[in-house]
Amino acid sequence: MKKLDRREFIKLASAAGGGFLMPDPLKVLNDAVGQLLGTKKKPASEYYPEPVTGARFGMVIDLGKCIGCRRCMYACKRENNVPDTISPPYIMVFETESATGVTGHFASPEMMGKGTTMFYTKLRKDKWYMPVQCNHCDNAPCVQVCPTGASYKDPDGLVLIDYDKCIGCRYCMTACPYGARRFNWWEPHVSRDRRNPLVPMRRHGVVEKCTFCVHRTRRGKFTRCVEVCPNKARTFGNFNDPDSKVSKLIESERNFRLKEGLNTEPRIWYLTKPKEKRMRWYRPLPPPKNIRGVKS
Amino acid sequence: MKNAGKSFYIFIAILLAFIGWGGFNWLRFLSHGPGLTGSSDVVPWGIYISGLAYFIGVSAGATIVGLLIHAFGRHDYEPVGIRAILLGLLCIFGATQFVLVDLGVPFRGLKVPIILHNLTSLFLISSSSYYGFMAILSGELYFSIKVATGKASERDKKMAKWLGIIAVPYALWIVHAFTGSIFGVVKAREMWNTPMLPVHFVISAIASGFAMVILVAVITSKVEKRDLLSNETLNHMGKILAFFVLLTLFLDFFDYFILRYSAKKEAMEGWHILTGRYLPIFLINEGGLILSLLILTFKKGRTANGLLLATSIIQVAIIAYRIDLVSVGQLAPLFPGMGELYYHPTLSEISVALGLIALVILLYAVLSKVLPMEETAPEPVYASRGLGKTLWKKNKKRYMEVRN
Repeated sequence: MKKLDRREFIKLASAAGGGFLMPDPLKVLNDAVGQLLGTKKKPASEYYPEPVTGARFGMVIDLGKCIGCRRCMYACKRENNVPDTISPPYIMVFETESATGVTGHFASPEMMGKGTTMFYTKLRKDKWYMPVQCNHCDNAPCVQVCPTGASYKDPDGLVLIDYDKCIGCRYCMTACPYGARRFNWWEPHVSRDRRNPLVPMRRHGVVEKCTFCVHRTRRGKFTRCVEVCPNKARTFGNFNDPDSKVSKLIESERNFRLKEGLNTEPRIWYLTKPKEKRMRWYRPLPPPKNIRGVKS
Repeated sequence: MKNAGKSFYIFIAILLAFIGWGGFNWLRFLSHGPGLTGSSDVVPWGIYISGLAYFIGVSAGATIVGLLIHAFGRHDYEPVGIRAILLGLLCIFGATQFVLVDLGVPFRGLKVPIILHNLTSLFLISSSSYYGFMAILSGELYFSIKVATGKASERDKKMAKWLGIIAVPYALWIVHAFTGSIFGVVKAREMWNTPMLPVHFVISAIASGFAMVILVAVITSKVEKRDLLSNETLNHMGKILAFFVLLTLFLDFFDYFILRYSAKKEAMEGWHILTGRYLPIFLINEGGLILSLLILTFKKGRTANGLLLATSIIQVAIIAYRIDLVSVGQLAPLFPGMGELYYHPTLSEISVALGLIALVILLYAVLSKVLPMEETAPEPVYASRGLGKTLWKKNKKRYMEVRN
């Protein structure tokens, strides 16, 4: 018999333990078949560091502090070797009005393109700004629909993609309610001197998305978007630790998550604090250009 | 090849040209990346997935003929029996090829239906079921051909019968309803996420598949200048088809009716796009179904010429429905402010789709010439005397005496 390693043991134990609490026969059958056929291989650890034991990562974004400067968008693009052919990069920033709501729910057709936009070029203090990226959902629809198991959920809360397993069927892209996933329509080119050696390059025909900077966060650093945010609107941390900053923030402040009605259990919380009076307003970086499938 | 004239070879050459064009463009996709298609991050699925849904529908709907022959005893359908099986088999093959050209990394995708990676994925479940369906149809084809050439034992006849009957629930329930569920389970897209969708898929599949069998039968009669089916049989087929077209219209109506009153703003936006910017496709879908229903209600419409017209219109209408569902269903933006989304298939994308359609037609044209499509066994002596085979065997000696 094959020897179980730690991760497989945790997986099996959690599957067995979860069976008592919340029986999902399909999931149990799925794991059993995977074990039998040996297709449930280890996730691509050659790309990513091992998951942090006992951690449950997540992010809190304070909308009262976000000024929509798009610095997170461009820093993320640089950090994760996102080529220019992928537009918009992993993070989209929307400018919304309080009338249409900052919750990311839909504006009426008459308001389409009027109230809310991601193509703003000037900052306005009467508007709200909301960055949207992969939510690393606990109940991720993309993981559920992936036919090869290339998209998977790690025990520390990250939803990752194994680029060697992805067949490029794009089912996950249609299933994602947040539009967070990007497809490599062309061979991605990032010049050698700008490339981050910690992040693997993808090939054309596979799907990619925000990884919560797995190469940084699993080595004890913050994500790049948290680091560059000039107003400290973003906070990253471990929700399993009750003393961590993120746990305290969502305990004490009013918050929401995007499209909660879909039962995806996102791991990004948005705080609805009033706008800070003393904030530094930076000029925004240019909006994303040449988006496939969007009339400009 | 028997009775293949000059025009047949010209037809084959045209099909080969289309296949070559499509194949060349597919090789370009493989080398340059799928960016040559019109799909995008906001509309990830284009006409190839519409093509998958359409071809699966035709394949599943064509099995109905087997049910009519074997379970309902309509033996006047037998001249199209084997043709329907062959059509089903080639269409399911075509559907899998549509998935293959849509994949970003196609050769990794080939093993997906065999190695069960993730059983919660409807894509995996339905594509695995396609392999089972191919096996059932191949078996049915094999035994039916054995029966038609008169080499069949009693067991073979039973196999042909029962495979023909099993193929129908398998095709409609497992193959096609699960294909509908691929879209039905996507909760992110308001126009897809409805429990009606598998039902809708199955009914429109029967309409398009049965119509395709009639179309093939009528075209075969026209090309071979003989009556493949009697006028009564065509009339009966027309009536069944009219019923399923009516059901499709009914489901279409209430699907869109409920969509119009949906609580979700995404659904409202979807309705506005469907009846606004993409109105022509919507009109082709609904108008085509209504027009074909009108043709089929008249007795003159259920003759060979009327059916030729009506079934061709139904094919176009159902293709429009699949495009509406798959591509237009993704056009409602997931967030306000993403801008106006669009999907325009490129010429190279269309050429690959045409090449695949040409491939299916080519395979059908060649195989229907090579394989025996109808009973070709010579009439035995006893048949002319009005005696059954068993009776003949039992009293062989006496009959031989009488004859001598």
